[in-house]
Amino acid sequence: MSLLLPMQSGLLPEGLNVSFKLIPAILVLAMLGLFLVIGFVFKVADTEGMWVAGRSIGNVENGMAIGANWMSAASYLGMAALIALSGFYGLAFVVGWSTGYFILLIFMAAQMRRFGKYTAPDFVGDRYNSDTARAIAAVTTFLIGFVYAIGQARGMGLVGLYIFGDLGILGLTGYQSMVVFMMTITVGYLSISGMMGATKNMAVQYVILIVAFLAGLYVVGYVNGYSTVLPHIEYGEMFSVLSNEFSEPFVHQSYYLWIATAFSLVVGTCGLPHVLVRFYTVESERTARWSTVWGLGFICLLYLSSPAFAAFGTDLYSNQIGDVYGDPGMTSAAGDVIVVLAAQLSNLPTWFVGLVAAGGIAAAIATVAGLFIAGSSAISHDIYANIINPDATQRQQVLVGRLSIVALGVITTLAALNPAAPIAALVSYAFSLAGAVLFPMFFLGLWWENTNRQGALAGMTTGLIIWIIPMINEVLPTYVSSLDSTISPVLAQWVPAIGSALVAVPVVFIVTIAVSLATEEPDMETKRLVRQCHSPEPMDRMESAEEVVSTDGGEDVEGGDA
Amino acid sequence: MTENNRHDSDGERTAPDGGTTAAQRHRETNYLEEEVNLLKPSTEFMRDHLRLIWTGFIIWAVLVFGPVTATALAPETMTMTIPGGFPLHYFLVAIGAPAGALILSVWYARRRDALDEKYGISHGGDA
Repeated sequence: MSLLLPMQSGLLPEGLNVSFKLIPAILVLAMLGLFLVIGFVFKVADTEGMWVAGRSIGNVENGMAIGANWMSAASYLGMAALIALSGFYGLAFVVGWSTGYFILLIFMAAQMRRFGKYTAPDFVGDRYNSDTARAIAAVTTFLIGFVYAIGQARGMGLVGLYIFGDLGILGLTGYQSMVVFMMTITVGYLSISGMMGATKNMAVQYVILIVAFLAGLYVVGYVNGYSTVLPHIEYGEMFSVLSNEFSEPFVHQSYYLWIATAFSLVVGTCGLPHVLVRFYTVESERTARWSTVWGLGFICLLYLSSPAFAAFGTDLYSNQIGDVYGDPGMTSAAGDVIVVLAAQLSNLPTWFVGLVAAGGIAAAIATVAGLFIAGSSAISHDIYANIINPDATQRQQVLVGRLSIVALGVITTLAALNPAAPIAALVSYAFSLAGAVLFPMFFLGLWWENTNRQGALAGMTTGLIIWIIPMINEVLPTYVSSLDSTISPVLAQWVPAIGSALVAVPVVFIVTIAVSLATEEPDMETKRLVRQCHSPEPMDRMESAEEVVSTDGGEDVEGGDA
Repeated sequence: MTENNRHDSDGERTAPDGGTTAAQRHRETNYLEEEVNLLKPSTEFMRDHLRLIWTGFIIWAVLVFGPVTATALAPETMTMTIPGGFPLHYFLVAIGAPAGALILSVWYARRRDALDEKYGISHGGDA
């Protein structure tokens, strides 16, 4: 098999002003410098501090951390891109990525907080008493970080072109050079700061990216006469001038794909390890609930703006560059920077366009931070310390954690040099994976005490297989020169990589439940662990369900004599 | 494991007589002795909580998948222009669903707090 490293992928957004610009470059570097300084001040060396920032974060701050962690280049750039390019189908991303938080809230947020484990593999390993299950969850977490980050790298590479121009590193194209450059910065920053720094950064990052995005939206809307005080609603007036393809349903993609995509994104939201880790860092389960509500609110600020930004960008593009739809139409590279392009086409000063671009980079870095930490802790904590070397010292664990971050950075960079799809689609592959493998384990593990080890192992394996098949079918051919574009179009139609969780989730549920029923029930201690997650009794700040169950059952004292 | 609960297994199921409040019955329940099954709630608290969860879930499902399905079934009606210039389907999906989910989340979190109050539970700390 000939795995070729593509050396001439020349992703180049048409219309984008690609050159080195001093003030925007200073803005980005100052921002990254600020992140590093904050990261340095809160630098931590012990593993505990690396993984969760000491459970002392309140509603609003944690809500912002959820928002920053969540809103990646896919939200900031990719969503507007798909709305511009694929019209009504793009809204499946708006819906899937926001409304999924409600499912997370009602079924999982507080229960996860009560379970009290740091990572997704920890949850799976402890709930199902199985190191194999833990290892599968750890590998899944690592894979999610990798796939998810490819989209971020693509976003940083494209936006970086506006700010830094064509760096021309080692004969790579401008886009590829920028991917290498931005990923180097991200990994360097991450390796130093660890999660304490990342968490403290996250409120800052959220503020930077939401201010940049909203400023861009308001100013672009105002100078072009599209909108005044509420662009989120005012873009409605533009539908009469925008091309039909912008809003007409099911012209770009089918109803089935719309549902598959939205469903996949919803369950993926509930299965993403770097999202769930946010609930372990809060004081109480009530804070877990309310910070989810705040988080969704902070996310909606951007998600309600995105379609408006896409409408502005689409109109500017068609007036100044050419037809958005049809042949040749807008390329996916231009789509992915439509937010920056809209600001540039409005003839705004470069520092302002640079601010909008810097927000996109902030979004990407904040998310890659969360992803790589979840991925590296899966390797160092769950695979290395738990399975390979149980006597590992903290120093060894931290070292392995940092090496895995570098490894993630390298493979992400390589895969992003010639990405298979637009940002939002790349990220959706990770959501399909999280939804297919981890979501059913979290959901059944928390809501049905009889889910057992055998069921979990069978279910996770099934989920992985159902995820991998469409990935091989649709995505692998991009990287393997001897394969055609899509191996089986029929399979791609019914089990699309972008929404494979629609098929995977029901199958995994059935397999997990059937195998659990056919094998021995879990022991009483495990059942009590699950019960403790749902008990309305408050728990102490640092308590996990396991501790409560193994001491005295955590039941009320006063009730005993009643 | 040490089994030093204050409750004996028989003591838990004190039948709720008419005179006791939800908070009292809550104190008499040992939640570690009651099965957790999404489809078969075993405690009064869980029944109340699941009623809330399922209500929210059904509204959510209609909110998220309703408009797009209606658009597939009746494209003419759903794509008509509403005041503000939006085609109806676009408005319901782009604005209705995210905003609706946010409102629903606030509703759930408040109702869930009210449930704590009903059962006399305080989480202490900030809040």
